[in-house]
Amino acid sequence: MTTHSSARDDDTIVSVRDLQVEFRTTLGVVRALNGVSFDIPRGKVVGIVGESGCGKSVTARAIMQIIEHPGRITNGSIEFHRQGGDVATSQLLTDDESAPADALTASGGIDITRLDPRSAAMRAIRGAEIAMIFQEPMTSLNPVYTVGSQIEEAILLHQTPDKEKARQQAVDMLRQVGMPNPERIARSYPHELSGGMRQRAMIAMAMSCHPALLIADEPTTALDVTTEAQILSLMRKLKAEIGMSIMFITHSMGVVAQLCDEVIVMYLGQVVERASVDEIFYNPKHPYTRSLLRSIPRIGMTEHAPLEVIKGSIPDPYTRVTGCSFHPRCPDYLGDVCRDVIPAEALLAGPTRHGAKCHLYTDEGRAALAAPAATRG
Amino acid sequence: MTETVTAEPAQAEPLLEVRDLRKWFPIKGGMLRRTTGHVKAVDGVSLTVAKGETLAVVGESGCGKSTTGRTILRLEEPTGGTVVFRHPELGPVDLATADRRTMRQVRPRMQIIFQDPFASLDSRMTVGRLIAEPLVINGVLKGQPLRDRVAELLTMVGLRPEHASRYPHAFSGGQRQRIGIARAIALDPDLIICDEPVSALDVSVQAQVINLLEDLQERLGLTYVFISHDLSVVEHIADRVAVMYVGRVVEIGTTKELFYRPKHPYTEALLSALPQPDPRNRTEVVPLTGDVPSPANPPSGCYFHTRCPYAQPVCSEETPPLRTLPAEDGSSTGTVRQAACHFAEELDLKGAVVPSPVVGGGTDEPFAPVGPRPGSAARTDGVAS
Repeated sequence: MTTHSSARDDDTIVSVRDLQVEFRTTLGVVRALNGVSFDIPRGKVVGIVGESGCGKSVTARAIMQIIEHPGRITNGSIEFHRQGGDVATSQLLTDDESAPADALTASGGIDITRLDPRSAAMRAIRGAEIAMIFQEPMTSLNPVYTVGSQIEEAILLHQTPDKEKARQQAVDMLRQVGMPNPERIARSYPHELSGGMRQRAMIAMAMSCHPALLIADEPTTALDVTTEAQILSLMRKLKAEIGMSIMFITHSMGVVAQLCDEVIVMYLGQVVERASVDEIFYNPKHPYTRSLLRSIPRIGMTEHAPLEVIKGSIPDPYTRVTGCSFHPRCPDYLGDVCRDVIPAEALLAGPTRHGAKCHLYTDEGRAALAAPAATRG
Repeated sequence: MTETVTAEPAQAEPLLEVRDLRKWFPIKGGMLRRTTGHVKAVDGVSLTVAKGETLAVVGESGCGKSTTGRTILRLEEPTGGTVVFRHPELGPVDLATADRRTMRQVRPRMQIIFQDPFASLDSRMTVGRLIAEPLVINGVLKGQPLRDRVAELLTMVGLRPEHASRYPHAFSGGQRQRIGIARAIALDPDLIICDEPVSALDVSVQAQVINLLEDLQERLGLTYVFISHDLSVVEHIADRVAVMYVGRVVEIGTTKELFYRPKHPYTEALLSALPQPDPRNRTEVVPLTGDVPSPANPPSGCYFHTRCPYAQPVCSEETPPLRTLPAEDGSSTGTVRQAACHFAEELDLKGAVVPSPVVGGGTDEPFAPVGPRPGSAARTDGVAS
C-alpha cells in the first residue's frame, strides 16, 4: 500500500487510497473493503475482477457514495479529478457551502469520502461526472415511465432546463447507442424492450451527461453472448469517440481480455494484483490470479481433461482470515509467514506498473522459503 | 470417457429419441379469453441421445432450449411429437402419450438439475430430508439404510455426511448445486437433464461443479442433456451439440465438427460472439444485428433470414428442413451431421477461434502453471461454518 500511495499520475481521474468499508450487522461486522488502493487513468478501461463477495460492487458504490445501509466508509480516500483542470474541480465545492473545507485535496482533486452523500456537491458529481450502469437493466429502469422521459430526467437535472432540448438530446443519445428508430424507443416503456435494448437504454442514460468516468457493474452478465458482443463493441466505440474512462466490473475473463487496458484482481475486500491486461493474462503473479485464469474453460484447450479448481470456497464474511487472506486456499502456501503476516504490495519489475500482494515476492516470504522446510506448513 | 462414447453410439440403441416435438403455449385474448394465437416455444425438435453421452443444447435466451428439456421430462405436456425413452425393463416408452402408471415407473430413471441453486431447494427442509425425498417418495429405502444412502450421496457430491442436518441457507451457491445434484442422482437414473447447472455460479465454483458432473457421469454411466448458453462450458463437457433458434434445431453435430466447421450461419454468429480470454487476440466481431424474433410471430421462410449476413431471396420464402449433410471427408463413421440451411454445403463458415496453442513454456505462455498445481479432484469444497 505504502509503496505507491504518494505517487499519483497526473493523468488519473480517480485514485482510491486505503479504502475501508464496513457493514455493521447484528451478526457482526463485515469488512467489505479492507484497504483498497488503485488508480483509474484518464481515457482507459480498468477491469475489476474477482469472485462474488470480493468487494467489486462495494468499491463502485463507494465511489458513487451509494453504499447501502448499514455500510459506511470507515477509512481512506477517493480522490476525483475532473476533466478540464483543477480549477473546474474546486468550482464544484465553492458552489456548495455545506462541503467541508478539507474535501479539496492537496493535488486539487475532491475527496469524495469527505462529502455528505446527500450534499449538493456529491449530487453534482453523481450522474454528471461519474455515471453508473447496473447488472440487471429491468430492475434499474422505472417501469412506469417511458425510456425517453427517464433519460430526459438526468439531462434536465444536470444540463439544461429546456424540456424540448432535453427531449431531443435523449433521442440523440438513443441513436448514439445504436437503437433502431430512437423516436419510437423514447416513447416506449422498459417492458416493451428486450434485455439488450434495455441495457442500451441504461447506457444512453448514463452517457447523457457526458460523464468523465463510467462505472459499469457487470453490464453484460445477464445478456446472451450475441447481445454481449453488441454492448461491448458499443462501449469500445463510445470510449474511442468521447474519450471517457470506464471502470468495468465483471467476472468474465473473456470480456476483460477483449475490452480492458488495465486489470485489478480483488479477493476478500483487497486488491491482490494489478497490472496491464497483457501482464495479467501472460505473466500473472498472484497465485489467486493464476488459479482464477486456469479454472475457466477455454475453447480448444481443455479437451475433456478436468478443469483446474481453486480448492475450498470463499470464507464466511464474518470471520476474519489472518495474514494473507488467500492462504487457506493457496496452492503456493509458504507456511507461517502467509498465515501470520499480511503481505505488503510488491511492485514487480517490468515496463508497466505491476503490483501483487503475495509473500512469493516479499522479503519475509523469501526468507521463509530459504529457511529449512521443517518450519513450513 | 470420450473414447468409449464417441466410438459406440452409432451401433447402440439410443437412450432417448425425440421426434418432431412441439410445445405451443396458447395466447389468450379478448373478453371471452379465446385463444388468439400460439407461442411456438418448441416447434418440431428432433434429437437422439445415445447412452452415456452428453448432448448439449445451446441457443440464446428464449430459443426454447429449457422448454425442450422440460417437455422431454413431461414437466410440460407436449403439443405434439414423440419422446421415446428406452427403459431398462419396460423397453421403449413414448413419454408423450404414456399413462400415469407408466410415467411413475419411468420418472425415477430421468432427473433434472436446475439453474438456480437458491430457488430450487426448499429452505425449510434439511439437506438430509431434501436428498432423501426422492427415495422416500418412491418407497425405495427407509430407516437406517435411507440414512446411510443419504450419507453416501453427500460424499459422492463432495459434501460431508454431517451436512445432512443443516439447512440450505448455510451453504454457498456451489454447495447448493451439489445438493441439487445429489437429489438428481439419488435414484440412480439413466438420464439427467442439466438446465444451465453452472450459469449462476462463479467461474472457480463453475469448474468444481463441471468436474463433479463429469466425474459422476463416468462413475455412474449417466447420460446428460446439457442445456446451456455458455459455449466454452459446452465445448468442454459435450460430445455432441444441438443449436436451437426460435424453437427449432438449426444444427447438430459432434462438438469438434460444430465448433470448428459450423454449417449454419447462426452457429457461426454464436461462435464469433464469444469473447476470447486472450488480450493479444482481440477480435472486432461483427455482431448480429437486431433481436431474436418472437416465437409467437416468427418470420417467414428460414427464421434466421432477418439477421443472416448470407441471406438470399429464397431464404425468406422457403423453410429449410433440418437435413443430414454428407460427410466431408468420408472418414466420419456414423456421426450424423445435420443443418437447416439452404446453403449449408456452399457457405464457407468460420469456426471458433483457437487461442494460441500452449507450446514450450516461458512467461509468454498464457496461464503458465507455476508452483504446485491444485489437485484435479472436485470434492474439496470447504465448509461454510
